[in-house]
Amino acid sequence: MELLSGEILSNEKYSDNLYRMEIFSPYICKNATAGQFINVKCSPESVLDPLLRRPFGIFDIEEKFNVFSILYRVKGRGTKFLSELKRGDILDFAGPMGNEIDLNGNENNILLIGGGIGIAPLYLIAKLAGGMKKNVFFAAGFKDNSYLRWEKDLIELKINHAVLTEDGSWGEKGLVSDYVWNNIRSFKNFDIYCCGPRDMLKTLQNIYKDRNNKVTALLDERMACGVGVCSGCVVKLRKGKRGFSYKKVCKDGPAFNLGEVIFD
Amino acid sequence: MIEQNSLFSYETDTIGNESSLSVRLGRIKLDNPVIACSGTFAYGVEYSQFYNTAILGAVTTKSYSLKPIKGNPPPRICETASGMLNSIGLQNDGIDMFIKKHLRKAEKLGIKIILSIFGQDLEEFRKVASRAADVKERIIAVELNLSCPNVKKGGMAFSAMPDEVEKIVSSTVSILNIPVIAKLSPNYQNLVEAAMAAKKGGAEALSVINTVVGMAVDIETFRPRLGNVLGGLSGPAVKPIALAKVYSLTREKILPVIGMGGIFSWQDALEFLLVGASAVGVGTANFIQYDVGKKIIEGLRNYLKEKKIYNINELIGRLRT
Ligand SMILES: Cc1cc2nc3c(=O)[nH]c(=O)nc-3n(C[C@H](O)[C@H](O)[C@H](O)COP(=O)(O)OP(=O)(O)OC[C@H]3O[C@@H](n4cnc5c(N)ncnc54)[C@H](O)[C@@H]3O)c2cc1C
Ligand SMILES: Cc1cc2nc3c(=O)[nH]c(=O)nc-3n(C[C@H](O)[C@H](O)[C@H](O)COP(=O)(O)O)c2cc1C
Ligand code: FES
Repeated sequence: MELLSGEILSNEKYSDNLYRMEIFSPYICKNATAGQFINVKCSPESVLDPLLRRPFGIFDIEEKFNVFSILYRVKGRGTKFLSELKRGDILDFAGPMGNEIDLNGNENNILLIGGGIGIAPLYLIAKLAGGMKKNVFFAAGFKDNSYLRWEKDLIELKINHAVLTEDGSWGEKGLVSDYVWNNIRSFKNFDIYCCGPRDMLKTLQNIYKDRNNKVTALLDERMACGVGVCSGCVVKLRKGKRGFSYKKVCKDGPAFNLGEVIFD
Repeated sequence: MIEQNSLFSYETDTIGNESSLSVRLGRIKLDNPVIACSGTFAYGVEYSQFYNTAILGAVTTKSYSLKPIKGNPPPRICETASGMLNSIGLQNDGIDMFIKKHLRKAEKLGIKIILSIFGQDLEEFRKVASRAADVKERIIAVELNLSCPNVKKGGMAFSAMPDEVEKIVSSTVSILNIPVIAKLSPNYQNLVEAAMAAKKGGAEALSVINTVVGMAVDIETFRPRLGNVLGGLSGPAVKPIALAKVYSLTREKILPVIGMGGIFSWQDALEFLLVGASAVGVGTANFIQYDVGKKIIEGLRNYLKEKKIYNINELIGRLRT
């Protein structure tokens, strides 16, 4: 993990609130892998408001070109600042942070379940697992068709997928968790990675409660340091029969066994 | 002219043309005045990925209690205008874990440790201090976090009660026999009284300020933004408060002060030194600029060189009013 600065090669608008930023960084391309994230300073140099760095999952790595990207949704002031950066600007970031997801010990079948911007870190898993000749299926759910442009990226990877939207404007109408439930038999021997809103994760936790699949969730939580020193980003995990412990998303995660997560 | 009495003296150990950054707070001698604040630096090991944290004047550890503490429910962090609120809830894995595991790692890296401790009551402070006494040769001082709640007295911070401050300081001083620093809260009116009480109890120095109590509300959900409702404000937003609190103590010349609160640059650090802090603590800034400690030391060194000031102590307390 290092403090880095990298030239922005593109900051492409995918839709109203969705952007893909490509950053030149041999260091990240060499050292980062699936599941990891970067921590970005979202204010001009030596300006301290907004103050904290913002975490973003690594969306794609193109090692050949020493370029990696993040896919981000404009939410508040920090991401607004990012959306205004231009090709040639320098991004101040640190990484790679968090633990890598080891895809080696897996079933040959991988199901990725993404809700909204949760698809971002799953995309790199899809790419790497696809490269390992695993059978990957991507189920993605959105409110509307604002992520349409992303499907092109997925098609480039030749990954089988299903898209669901709440308003039916793209793909099937419905929720991705319902889709998973309706097709539960077809995904029997799949290892599962999911990322998305709490409600989606809770539903998936229920669906997979008494099944044998290995289900891994990528979680987000408010962060201050991103390096494991402040204990700010904790999530509650089951410990023993009735107990719990707090684990840090930045240092112990962001991937956790979904069955162990306690959603209060 | 700078005052020269036993508490505030300094040695002129200038080597060649290099300006001296070393400072003294009573018996505590530091190579430079830059200290990492408790709770923002763990015990210095994580940040050694970014620079050699042994160059810091000292690293103050997370506050340790007798038994591990799980901490508050999330969310624990909320950003505010030029600042942040935290409600970590003093999560820590207990003093024994620090002694058995963490201290050795810090020592290996040559990090100078100030051990921060706290308790729910006097008894727990004493017990933690006795454990700390076992490693007293391996640390440079113990800092008492007196901003934590006094559970037996309705949960108000010890810092609010000068009598309690004196009791805790004097009993830990007698157990420890190494310098003890009292860290005080900015949230009560009687800061000066608390500082006097710390002095009476035998403290070597004061750390000021801890976080300022605050809160934030989510207008979508009508809920507080922190799981614990209330939290502590830190970062640039608190710097003017911190400077004023430090000044209120240095003016009275009670004890040497480690000034902290919103320090992000060498210029910020210099402001604290000018109002009379003998050293500075850097906290929240570490979360944003991982090598800020190093940058502040370098910035101070360059400033002295440029201004041809051979000893940083010449700047301490030079505020013109
Ligand atoms: C490990 C991890 C990976 C992430 N990956 C991505 C990604 O690939 N793409 C993407 O668009 N978003 C991602 N997020 C969420 C992203 O960090 C937030 O959307 C972003 O911080 C919002 O900043 P803001 O200033 O625009 O919003 P504001 O709401 O103004 O931010 C205020 C504060 O809340 C924090 N915050 C707000 N939303 C979140 C959130 N969901 N999670 C954590 N902190 C939050 C901010 O960091 C900031 O400190 C990730 C979060 C985590 C923890
Ligand atoms: C996340 C966080 C955790 C903290 N934990 C402690 C602690 O355990 N003990 C303590 O004495 N102070 C603690 N503090 C207070 C800091 O040491 C410091 O006094 C305060 O944050 C002001 O300095 P700053 O603005 O540079 O951060 C904590 C502060 C933050 C932001
Ligand atoms: S953000 Fe500080 S420990 Fe995770």
